[in-house]
Amino acid sequence: MKRTMQTILLTLVLAAFSVAAATVGQPAPGFTLKDVSGKPVELSEFKGRYVVLEWVNPECPYVQKHYDSANMQRLQKEFTGKNVAWLAINSTNPRAYDYKTPAQMQAWMKQMNGAVTATLLDESGQVGQTYGARVTPHMYIIDPKGTLIYAGAIDDRRSTRLEDVKTAKNYVHVAMGEALAGKPVSTSSTTPYGCTVKY
Amino acid sequence: MRAQLSLILLAFSAAVCAEPVRTPHVEAELLAPRTAIEPGKPLVVALRLKIAPNWHTYWRNPGDSGEPTRITWKLPPGYSAGAIQWPVPERLPAGPLTNFGYKNEVLLLTDVAVPQGASGPVTLAARADWLVCNPERCIPEGADLAITFSGNANGRTAWAEAIERAQALLPRKAAEVGPWRFDARGAAGAVVLDIVPPAGIRLASPVYFPYEEGRIDNSAAQPVERAGDAYRLTIPASRQPVGAFTRVAGLLAVAQPLDAQGRRAVEFSVPVTGLVGPAAAAPPAPESAPLGLAMALAFAFLGGLILNLMPCVLPVLSIKVLGFVSNANQGAAQRRLQGALFAAGVVGSFLLLAAVLIALKAGGTALGWGYQLQSPLFVSVLALFFFALALNLSGVFEFGNVLPASLSGARVSSPRIDALLSGALAVFVASPCTAPFMGAALGFAFSQSVPVTMLIFTALGLGMAAPYALLAWNPRWLGSAPAPGPWMTRLKQFLAFPLYATVIWLAWVLGTQSGLDAVIALLAALLALAVTAWLAGLATRRKLAVRAIATAFALAAAALAVHAARAPAPGTPAISSAESAAAAWQPYTRHRLAELTAAGTPVFVDFTAAWCVTCQVNKQLVLTRPDVERAFTDRGVARLRADWTRRDDEITRALAELGRNGVPVYALYLPGRSVRLLPEILTRETVLAALAEIGHPKSIANLKRKEAP
Repeated sequence: MKRTMQTILLTLVLAAFSVAAATVGQPAPGFTLKDVSGKPVELSEFKGRYVVLEWVNPECPYVQKHYDSANMQRLQKEFTGKNVAWLAINSTNPRAYDYKTPAQMQAWMKQMNGAVTATLLDESGQVGQTYGARVTPHMYIIDPKGTLIYAGAIDDRRSTRLEDVKTAKNYVHVAMGEALAGKPVSTSSTTPYGCTVKY
Repeated sequence: MRAQLSLILLAFSAAVCAEPVRTPHVEAELLAPRTAIEPGKPLVVALRLKIAPNWHTYWRNPGDSGEPTRITWKLPPGYSAGAIQWPVPERLPAGPLTNFGYKNEVLLLTDVAVPQGASGPVTLAARADWLVCNPERCIPEGADLAITFSGNANGRTAWAEAIERAQALLPRKAAEVGPWRFDARGAAGAVVLDIVPPAGIRLASPVYFPYEEGRIDNSAAQPVERAGDAYRLTIPASRQPVGAFTRVAGLLAVAQPLDAQGRRAVEFSVPVTGLVGPAAAAPPAPESAPLGLAMALAFAFLGGLILNLMPCVLPVLSIKVLGFVSNANQGAAQRRLQGALFAAGVVGSFLLLAAVLIALKAGGTALGWGYQLQSPLFVSVLALFFFALALNLSGVFEFGNVLPASLSGARVSSPRIDALLSGALAVFVASPCTAPFMGAALGFAFSQSVPVTMLIFTALGLGMAAPYALLAWNPRWLGSAPAPGPWMTRLKQFLAFPLYATVIWLAWVLGTQSGLDAVIALLAALLALAVTAWLAGLATRRKLAVRAIATAFALAAAALAVHAARAPAPGTPAISSAESAAAAWQPYTRHRLAELTAAGTPVFVDFTAAWCVTCQVNKQLVLTRPDVERAFTDRGVARLRADWTRRDDEITRALAELGRNGVPVYALYLPGRSVRLLPEILTRETVLAALAEIGHPKSIANLKRKEAP
């Protein structure tokens, strides 16, 4: 009896361990999440390809800036066209007012003409917190070997003004371009901007 | 366009005019202290944002998300505006993230240079854009604002005082204020900032607000150590840094005013010497997935249940249960009512304790479970109380002889109050004990909102009251109890001995807190109490002289107890136990822990207190076992002891970071791994199994040596 209790306690303590945040230059933490149709998607499925992770929340004005200007969709189209896997992840807590059900997420992505490989739901926030995703949009790039090569903002213009996307330096575009050309990523960490992820 | 605007505005006002603009969550306007400009003299203009309750706007560095408020000025030729002078922000937590910003109302001041030849009415216009957020949503808002100065009378406006006050509170550069000294150096996962403020200035809860983004972990606590006039702030680095952490530049904000003006921050900038090490060896991150509410409630209930078996509670409750045997003829309804009242007493006392803890915490005092025992006075009173109880069990006196007739009469005539009070008493005597499961539940309780904290304490109380209340409901569950008889008196007398032992232990606790003199004073108080009790046992009501002497001894006991508690606390424990003197254990400091983990040394931290029975049992039965000690030595584990016997904010904070609120806590830091907590009740096997993960560096070394020719 005593031993059983100890085992239970130990298991609980172990389960409570924190996971280190994803770090540029280090292997990207693996995960399995369900997509909007309920199908589990595993990061390791995309080994051998570049993977872009985009943290998304349709109600966020910063996300709206990049979707209403079609900036995000353009990026998605360009790189999924070059065999890059693009995963949009929503880590919003189901208790938050701006939570979207899988069906709502699916409808929104369709309405926006998104060109993502998959739209994933991370309702527990576990994957978001493992990656240290703080805002929407928070962007990550993983190389074919599974190493994180970029983490940060989508561009250098912290604003909600649609017209800014034209003049901004798009970090993801630059980093993906460099990576696909076989060059090292010149700017691999930037300060992300946007709305707090509603964990 | 601009001229038109000024004309329109002029039409509305004779002096200074600014219409507030209302957006859905903010009321914005431009304000000035004076009604007219003075040629060649700079003018301060305030952007006032009146923010809806629960919403906030952002500081120049917004923290983990958000966007600073921006002002784009549209000024007449010759005029120019400076940058926003930001007031000291607040830390605004949002789940695991933190922002820096303002709530309610903020005045953002800007200096506007007025040209020499300026004259006549003038309008200063600006576009202000801000992001306003509540914990749920963020709205970008903005307004076109203008303020017109009509020229003639150079009077003060209604806002002059508020603006001057805001100016006076703006943080100043440390170098302009006095001889502040800042030194920063890189450590493992953090920057250590040493601060020496000018003489006479004390820093209350200092916090660093960085100007640069992406360098620090915005949500992490910044632990502070104080040594004389110097302070050491450990600033945890971001786990996803953006660029190198080479400079500490920003505000040092404190909770108490630094000067007569009421300023609460200084601005400073200092380079970081050395490198910030990888965050892998950083001070432990708080557990990311603590208990859920349901689990915490279950743990609290279980912990309360187990409290009954703790050595401080068991004798007291045994006596209560004996009551069922002796009062076998008592009505069932009466007995059940008493059981329920006892439970109410237990739960009520726990809630009272929780309320006190919450109130003290809100006042900024760092406390945790068992905090009462950090007070020498409480320890002395508890010792006297246990001693009196033990003397009573030994048969030296009966309570009825001591208490004034009216009071003891009330006690007998109202068994309900008696039951309620014994519930409170059980909690009182339980305070030195932490049962298994309680630690995790209490740690969770204090990281939650007040109602949740109260709920968990209720579960704890229900758990503790359950066995007695159930037995009161049906004593047959006790099993076949023997018939009442002389054995009951003997058992009662025997139960006095664990209580005497408890008194010895409390004397030892007082010794570690306040030294030998305090212990002697306590022993003298116990002697006086014994004499009082003996006299009370003899006394018949009529012998006034005996009662007078008894009272005198009682007063002496009280005075001595207070004296014992007042004895000055020695710098280091006056009576140190043999183990803590042993070189194997080093005293815990955050700094030492960071050093050891940075060097890749496995570290075991024993969070303990002399008054914590569970801790002492673990220490004697497990941690000091020769085979356990050998395992520590063989595997090169550094052992740190965090002694919480007296109040220690640093240890309280370290406990909070581990998600705990009381001792014991056993934390094992292995290089490259997150911190691991061992159960509150240690066994030799758990410790050895945990240590086995490290491997055997020493024996490997020995092996190699043997292989060498």
